[in-house]
Amino acid sequence: MRVLDADVHESFGSIKDLAPYLPEPYRGWIASGAWRGFSQPFAYTSPGLGNRADVRSKDGSASVSDYGQMRDQLLDPYDLGHAVLTGYFYPTGLKLQYGLATALAAAYNDYVAEHWLAKDKRFIGSVQINARDPDAAAREIDRMAAHPQVRQVLLPVVDDIAYGHPQYRPIFEAANRNRLMVAFHHTTFAQGPYGMGLHYMERHALLPLAMMPQIISLICNGVFDAYPNLRFMVLEGGFSWLPHVMWRLDREYRQGRIEVPWIKKLPSQHCRERLRLSTQPTEDITGDQWMKLIDLMGTDDVLVFSTDYPHFDFDDPNAAIPRSLPETTREKILWRNGAEFYDLGDAPKSERPLEAAAE
Amino acid sequence: MARHSVCKVHDVAVGALTEVKVGRSPIVLSRLPSGEIRAVGGRCPHQGAALRHGCVSGTTGADRPNELTYGCEGEILRCPWHGFEFSLRDGLPTTPDSEGLALRLRLYEVEVEGDEVVVVT
Ligand code: FES
Repeated sequence: MRVLDADVHESFGSIKDLAPYLPEPYRGWIASGAWRGFSQPFAYTSPGLGNRADVRSKDGSASVSDYGQMRDQLLDPYDLGHAVLTGYFYPTGLKLQYGLATALAAAYNDYVAEHWLAKDKRFIGSVQINARDPDAAAREIDRMAAHPQVRQVLLPVVDDIAYGHPQYRPIFEAANRNRLMVAFHHTTFAQGPYGMGLHYMERHALLPLAMMPQIISLICNGVFDAYPNLRFMVLEGGFSWLPHVMWRLDREYRQGRIEVPWIKKLPSQHCRERLRLSTQPTEDITGDQWMKLIDLMGTDDVLVFSTDYPHFDFDDPNAAIPRSLPETTREKILWRNGAEFYDLGDAPKSERPLEAAAE
Repeated sequence: MARHSVCKVHDVAVGALTEVKVGRSPIVLSRLPSGEIRAVGGRCPHQGAALRHGCVSGTTGADRPNELTYGCEGEILRCPWHGFEFSLRDGLPTTPDSEGLALRLRLYEVEVEGDEVVVVT
């Protein structure tokens, strides 16, 4: 069975690797160690320090900077049809120095294009941006959309941005005009409603609670309605909450539509049609429970497989999605839903004509 | 088909709700701005609230976020409990695709005979 992996975390070896891709003065700043990058505000508790313990990065961080290692541990042994590179270096985490953050996003995109995308046609790329400067983010999206492997914009979920807010519209406009999809991924800054909790376990369990508000924000503020061609992917944010969020939003809409009449479809319909959720970290539920959940979602179009390689909570393509699921549903989760989301057809996009809108 | 003389024509006004009983069933009446009289089942199809406590209003529209328009004054009935909106023109909810929920007002035929309002059940 073909497999598309929607969430793979490539990295650099050191932030200084970005220096050659930066303009001055930022090149000098990064090369001289004026900023040493983000460090997570907690200690990892897993045996591999955030990574699978069989994936060691040179600097001991929870990342992988070596394409060959990823190829030998992930792409080849599991015979992945596609792997979506989602990074974990998100300059939106900088709450000041927007010019630096924007330059870092561009530098990271160029670094990934050269050191990752160019090495393997199976990779699908994400555009990294500084979401705090939406106009600059839009320009970066326009720039990177020309790359034939780039298929999505990655919006990092931090502690103070709900992306439905009108100020972020330039980002969605740019994704829309370039026919890119939009994916959301948590960050080391993401929080639940009362903060990050007091333990790594607490922080990790709260991550879905950082994702649900993004969907609520996008729907209530009309992003789904404004851009009917955009589709949205929640990565690593859980999926069993979707029935609740759909039902709750439908109820709120029926009783409160008068306030938000720009919403033109039932929220649940918006979700079924254009929201996708990656499966990792799967909750350890039985095949029967998977099917009950899919029944409650009302469709098996929503779930998209992901491994989260190289991180410790990796899902194995052969083990994470129970074999007791109907073959067609399992195939949709492992391949088809993702392939349709990224509009892949049966060929890597790099072998297809460039579709990015020219206007 | 039974015909019930339920009230006088002047008892039914635009923007207001008049409840009558046919047997034990409540029916609420309102006059549309066009002059037509509407009679609908008196219980909300959602959870059964008494619609006589509801309000007749207009409703909002928008092509873009935060740019509201307002229209259809006198043609919208909002339930007193959860505020679901129904059009008095056709009994349908204002929300699209309410699949799975049988959410529509029951409309009764109305005839005017002299100054009597007659509801057909
Ligand atoms: S009972 Fe009327 S909207 Fe709920």
